[in-house]
Amino acid sequence: MGQEFVLLVSASIFCVGTVGFIIRKNPLIMFMSIELMLNSVNFLLVAYSSFLNSLDGQIFALFIITVAAAEVVVGLAIILTIFRTRHEMDVDHIDVLKG
Amino acid sequence: MEIATLFDFALDTVIFVVGVTAVLASLGVILCSSPIYSALYLIGHMICLALLFLLYNAEFLAVVQIIVYAGAVMILFLFIIALLGGKKEVQENTFHRAMAFGFVFILLGELYLSATVGPTQQIRGEIPAELFGTAKAIGLELFSKHIVAFELASGLLLVAAVGVICLAKFSFVPLRRRAR
Repeated sequence: MGQEFVLLVSASIFCVGTVGFIIRKNPLIMFMSIELMLNSVNFLLVAYSSFLNSLDGQIFALFIITVAAAEVVVGLAIILTIFRTRHEMDVDHIDVLKG
Repeated sequence: MEIATLFDFALDTVIFVVGVTAVLASLGVILCSSPIYSALYLIGHMICLALLFLLYNAEFLAVVQIIVYAGAVMILFLFIIALLGGKKEVQENTFHRAMAFGFVFILLGELYLSATVGPTQQIRGEIPAELFGTAKAIGLELFSKHIVAFELASGLLLVAAVGVICLAKFSFVPLRRRAR
């Protein structure tokens, strides 16, 4: 399959992730949308590493997976702490830091 | 038809089907009202992406994607959903949602145009075809050229683990709601 198909699929998944991050109020689904965006970038890196016959894209994707795993762990711990103190999960109501 | 062209056609068809399935699964993630269904769609999406990695000669990354994402991260998500209770979310149609869709359609067009239009510089690596994407090639590259980044990543994971322990172990005094 050509490069245009890869670009189109990757851009579509990235935009779906952006829409999900904007329109959803559940922080868990917002996190899943961030994962979608990271995954689309990973796919683009891997596909172009295959097109260009260079392994740098795959190494970059490996580091992105590492950072995403660390980010998910810390983010879910923060969500859990917020839920323990506030007993609700709507991001529109978490506005203590608004000033 | 020759065998080689037939094989190429079958490969293109498989890539097309898996790519479209990945996009549809990602739509399922953001359109389901219950978080548990979103998580299941996300697992399907990860598996589709692992198949695409495999089709683009990245077998090591495909296995890593299955183990780390579809295994560890999604199990963590499902545990948290089971712990917090997957409540359905009421969606109301507002002006902001319509604006989000418009913004994102413009973003999609811009991303596609900026990626396809304009000069790109071709670089060619010299990896032999039978070694490309294997754990051996990735390991050789990772431990020679990218060793500093590798060590920094291990430090990042350690900091994340310590941070999560601090967040989970020490209980905080609940913040008092302000009078409105």
